[in-house]
Amino acid sequence: MNPSLKLAWVVLLALELSFTQVWTVNVVLIVICLALMIWRRVAIKRLLWLTGVPLFFASALVWSLTLQGSASHHFLIVIFTRMFVYVYLGGLFTQTTDPLTLTRSLEQNAHLPAKFAYGFLAAFNLMPKIKAEVASIKAAALMRGQVLHVWSPQLYFKAILTAMHWSDQLSLAMVSHGFVEGAPRTHAAVIPLRHRDWWLTGGSLVLIQVGLFIGLP
Amino acid sequence: MKAWHLRDIILVTILAIFMGVIFFVIGPVYTILSAALAPAGLQPLANEILLGIWVMAGPLAGFIIRIPGAATLGELLGAVVEMFLGGVWGASTLISGVVQGFGSELGFILTGYKRYNWLTLVISALTTTIVTFTWSLFKEGYASYHLGFLAMLFTVRFISVFLFGGVLTKLITNLLSRAHVVKNVR
Amino acid sequence: MAVVNVTHLTYHYAHQSKPVLNDLNVTFPTGKFSLLTGASGGGKSTLLKLMAGLMPLSDTGTITYDGRPWSSIPAGQRSQTVAMLFQEPSLQFTMDTVENECRFVLENLQVDPATMPDRIAASLAFIGITALRHRNLMTLSGGEQQKVALAIIVAMDSDVILLDEPFASIDPIARQVLLDKLVALCTDHGKTIVLADHDLSGYAEWVDHLAVLEHGQVNLLSPSETQARFANFTPAKLAIHPAMPRPTNPIVLQGSQIRLYQGDRDLIKPQNLAFYEHKTTLITGPNGSGKSTLFRALVRLGHYQGTFNYHETNIQKIRQRRYARQVSLMFQTAAAQFLNVTVAEELALSLKYGRTKDFPSERIDQLLERLDLSGRHDQVLYSLSSGQQKKLQLLCMLIMAPPVLLLDEPFKGLDLASVTTVVAILREIQAEFKLTLILVSHQLSGLDDLVDYHLQLDHQHLQYVGVFHES
Ligand SMILES: Nc1ncnc2c1ncn2[C@@H]1O[C@H](COP(=O)(O)OP(=O)(O)OP(=O)(O)O)[C@@H](O)[C@H]1O
Ligand SMILES: Nc1ncnc2c1ncn2[C@@H]1O[C@H](COP(=O)(O)OP(=O)(O)OP(=O)(O)O)[C@@H](O)[C@H]1O
Ligand SMILES: [Mg+2]
Ligand SMILES: [Mg+2]
Repeated sequence: MNPSLKLAWVVLLALELSFTQVWTVNVVLIVICLALMIWRRVAIKRLLWLTGVPLFFASALVWSLTLQGSASHHFLIVIFTRMFVYVYLGGLFTQTTDPLTLTRSLEQNAHLPAKFAYGFLAAFNLMPKIKAEVASIKAAALMRGQVLHVWSPQLYFKAILTAMHWSDQLSLAMVSHGFVEGAPRTHAAVIPLRHRDWWLTGGSLVLIQVGLFIGLP
Repeated sequence: MKAWHLRDIILVTILAIFMGVIFFVIGPVYTILSAALAPAGLQPLANEILLGIWVMAGPLAGFIIRIPGAATLGELLGAVVEMFLGGVWGASTLISGVVQGFGSELGFILTGYKRYNWLTLVISALTTTIVTFTWSLFKEGYASYHLGFLAMLFTVRFISVFLFGGVLTKLITNLLSRAHVVKNVR
Repeated sequence: MAVVNVTHLTYHYAHQSKPVLNDLNVTFPTGKFSLLTGASGGGKSTLLKLMAGLMPLSDTGTITYDGRPWSSIPAGQRSQTVAMLFQEPSLQFTMDTVENECRFVLENLQVDPATMPDRIAASLAFIGITALRHRNLMTLSGGEQQKVALAIIVAMDSDVILLDEPFASIDPIARQVLLDKLVALCTDHGKTIVLADHDLSGYAEWVDHLAVLEHGQVNLLSPSETQARFANFTPAKLAIHPAMPRPTNPIVLQGSQIRLYQGDRDLIKPQNLAFYEHKTTLITGPNGSGKSTLFRALVRLGHYQGTFNYHETNIQKIRQRRYARQVSLMFQTAAAQFLNVTVAEELALSLKYGRTKDFPSERIDQLLERLDLSGRHDQVLYSLSSGQQKKLQLLCMLIMAPPVLLLDEPFKGLDLASVTTVVAILREIQAEFKLTLILVSHQLSGLDDLVDYHLQLDHQHLQYVGVFHES
């Protein structure tokens, strides 16, 4: 499916389900997401993680709502299943979408300005470097006799300076690689936006609306 | 009004990733805190205590980049990072990101993107707390808590957002302005 | 094909008392290889950035390409007129893989997608990195990344190519390969190349007039003066004469069955490894062979298999806070070491937590003077030139005086005079506080006096090399 439409679908659903209280629809979505992820061969370890995490947090939330609140059984089931829907929708999206294809699709199909699309992408590709940098900042401080905690301004100060330095460098490099803001570009790979994608997105959204309507108490 | 340029876009994204990674480094803290508080039915408190760190990307981006929408974009991207890193809230992080970002953005809107000082941060902390709390009423079903518990959650959240998004952010921007990388703040 | 003309160029940074470039005039001729050198902080990076149009001209002066000022060239054609290769290899790519990056660049130039594959293949082949086409950029070594960056410039077909210390972290062999390609671009393709470098080895054949930037101006040296400068970098000057460690030497760090890896690729196959106390050990090896990975393992920042013992204790069993001050690392990028805002604050931090209180302020001032850093107390650290940062970083770590100090490329980006001073200071402080120094360096000029032992990393194995001495 087209990545931009898939993103819109996931966000719309997550938003809508935050305000509705039909647990049967939640369960149907959970099953569909799970089936799709299995069909797209998401690793079993990933699936277990995607199940374990909401299991713990949803249980903890439901438990505290029971102890500290006056929620009905029906509402507790809704909250419990909702957490699973969130995580499964997120998992379905991240596990079946490649960031580069998403970027290209956002540029070509959603007409996001190229500076945003490729600016984001360039930064995302630095992720491993950023992870290593956080560890380095803490270690460098230790070697100078200082311990940095999450509440130490210096930790963030260093991170921000690094971010600034890297963004200067990267944007200069992109410009020197011929990238001009707002200029037309050709596309090495065209991301298709088929009628089928629209039908699939629209159709499934309508079905869910029907489900939500029928499921209303 | 200042427009978004390539450098700002990359900066806000890298910033968001840094904050996401720092948050992830303390990720175990969140899980441990949650696990410790859960049996007593206090798990949401873990959220509230640490929320301030999570929403810091907003005021920081707003302060550093000073373009309308910076705070919102900073938070939203932070959420994207969290989703890709496999955070516990899945797809809803994206919406929470926008909500939290808009919360801190309100602080900058109310000061007209002109004033970048204490007042801005305090207002921003307040709007963040109110906006995100309203969202929690729906999403996490906070509406069905007893009033007393709700008030406690709100207070803890405000303190956390104030300490991290206000006090700490101010200390950080002080360092930045001494290093001549952000314009002087009063 | 383009000649670059710089006339009456003056440039002044905010918060600085003196202009960096002062009424500078220079011409870089078409199809020539020009080499720019000059003391650290002289303004080479500033000049190159201005020429590439990456910073706006401020005070006075013009820079033209074949008579046209940069600003009058249409935005879409600028990168085909002038392109820059940066010092930091890993921060110049947008995409994930080599091929995708090439595509991105060609898309920017609005090249027809149908012709892209051939053009990409041709430029990769020219640089000799066809095999890297589908590799992920983040997993390439610094040398490989620089080759990719050069291939991209070839694909863009830019007339003028500016390079700011492109070899600063490149091993000698990769450096020679890159240099040959650059020369071919000049002689066979008529490109104009301006390259800034401190290490002058390998240029003698190609450069007649060395361009020296000092006091804000560029002077072209005569052929004889030029060759005199190159003479400091002949192979004989680069030779080091290490000894073999003797079995009786006390050992400070002992590794047993150490294996280093990246993903499922072995960097160092399981082996034992000893570092000797109070000695200076130099580690060399090709780009990406795992030297920095070894250092990160030694300071517990990276994963490894096997055990490292520090004075008989497994390093994993020592408290992190204590261990960090026993075995410290001078990071490859200077800025990674700093925690404060100004030069004075950074020095104060080292003085506060340093192992000894033996650094009276006169001594610090004198050291700063020798490193040509005096009078910069209140300057913001991050506005120092790369060489100045490197020197300050070293000073801060020496004041800390940890028993074992690991130095990752401590001479990167330093001019020869600075290297000499730094080596002298390293020796003094090492002798005074009985430090163990372990250093990684690609650049070897001036190091013979410093190095006791030489550890070579080759074919995934670390081995001491040198001659056996009697005493
Ligand atoms: N952003 C800045 N703000 C203030 N001063 C700066 C800034 N950038 C550089 N300088 C100063 O300008 C001078 C020239 O710096 P530049 O980086 O051009 O030197 P360089 O010749 O490239 O040195 P190196 O060989 O060490 O890289 C230095 O003294 C440096 O401290
Ligand atoms: N985060 C990472 N993910 C994947 N591969 C990595 C990562 N960091 C380093 N590598 C790879 O590990 C190998 C060893 O890197 P290392 O930095 O130790 O080399 P080095 O010997 O220090 O090289 P140089 O002389 O260029 O500094 C390289 O091939 C590098 O690309
Ligand atoms: Mg420089
Ligand atoms: Mg290295």
